[in-house]
Amino acid sequence: MTDARQSRNQEPEYPAYPEYHPGSVRPELNRPVHERYPQIRATSGYGDPRVRRTGPGPGAGTDQEPERSSKLTARLALAMTVVVGQLWGLTVVIDAWMEGHTGTAWWGAGFLCLSFLVVLGLWLIDPKDR
Amino acid sequence: MSVTDQPSSGDPREALSDRIAADSLTTRRDYLRIVATVSGGLAVGGLGVAGGILPRHGDPDDAKAPSPKRIATQLLPGESLAFRYPDEEDRAVAVRLDDGTLVGYSAICTHLACAVLWRKDRGTEGELYCPCHEGIFDARTGEVTAGPPPRALPKVVLTEQADGSIWAVGTTRSGESVEHGLCRQLGENHPDLASRIGCPAVKGGGAEGPSFGAGAGTGADTSGRRS
Repeated sequence: MTDARQSRNQEPEYPAYPEYHPGSVRPELNRPVHERYPQIRATSGYGDPRVRRTGPGPGAGTDQEPERSSKLTARLALAMTVVVGQLWGLTVVIDAWMEGHTGTAWWGAGFLCLSFLVVLGLWLIDPKDR
Repeated sequence: MSVTDQPSSGDPREALSDRIAADSLTTRRDYLRIVATVSGGLAVGGLGVAGGILPRHGDPDDAKAPSPKRIATQLLPGESLAFRYPDEEDRAVAVRLDDGTLVGYSAICTHLACAVLWRKDRGTEGELYCPCHEGIFDARTGEVTAGPPPRALPKVVLTEQADGSIWAVGTTRSGESVEHGLCRQLGENHPDLASRIGCPAVKGGGAEGPSFGAGAGTGADTSGRRS
């Protein structure tokens, strides 16, 4: 029994674990896979060395400048509204002319020309827009 | 190669789909350009209308007042007469209403220039009727009572001589009174006559009503009846 107690009190001396390092102790084995095995290549995805761009991601194909698009739509809507007003104005001009109110007809013609200038401005406000 | 450059295979359906695909390439800026073009056209049209590109009934080519013209030897109640006054392209219609009133109007509808017809069987005392789009004009005033015409019919001023002959002596524009139309036409060429009939724009005008029977060359008194 004394031998057993003695063996419990005296832990055997084991050598300490070496400090852990990932990889191999041999540096030539820690090279990247494509260096160690140059014949193996990824053939798709971002690992493919032929891929230089990330390509279209989510949202690809949509308008990149929604504000510009909205402004163009607003310009078109305004221009069409002005043209509708011009159509009404032309009926007024014709009625005024037919009833002999030549002055009113000329005022109406001036209104039509001003409206045209407004539409022209809406058109020329950004000539490179699309 | 763009969509529009693709060769056509001859199939009409494929050609139609190609055309639709090409139309879809029209951008909003293209639409804006089209709208601007239409706007410019309307502006030019308005200038043309104000400048007198549209003909008006009774506007002479030589800027002179129309001369009186005998259109009939008599016109019985309920009857109508188609004539041209003052020029050959100015179609007009004269109507004797049942109560003896003599009226005359342009026979060109103010909507789309169709011929206006006298229909005695319509309305209470007959109507001036445009069959193209069901336009109806009042027989006594020429005003629009139904349908799409935007303006009243221009009047043709008629007088009746003692021998029953009917003379056309002037025209008015849409919505213009007979007196105003006659004064407008006589004011420049016959200021003395305009003064005699009491036109307000001519100084020294009297209070008597228009009377143009003497101008017709008959020498008889006018009946004073007019549209």
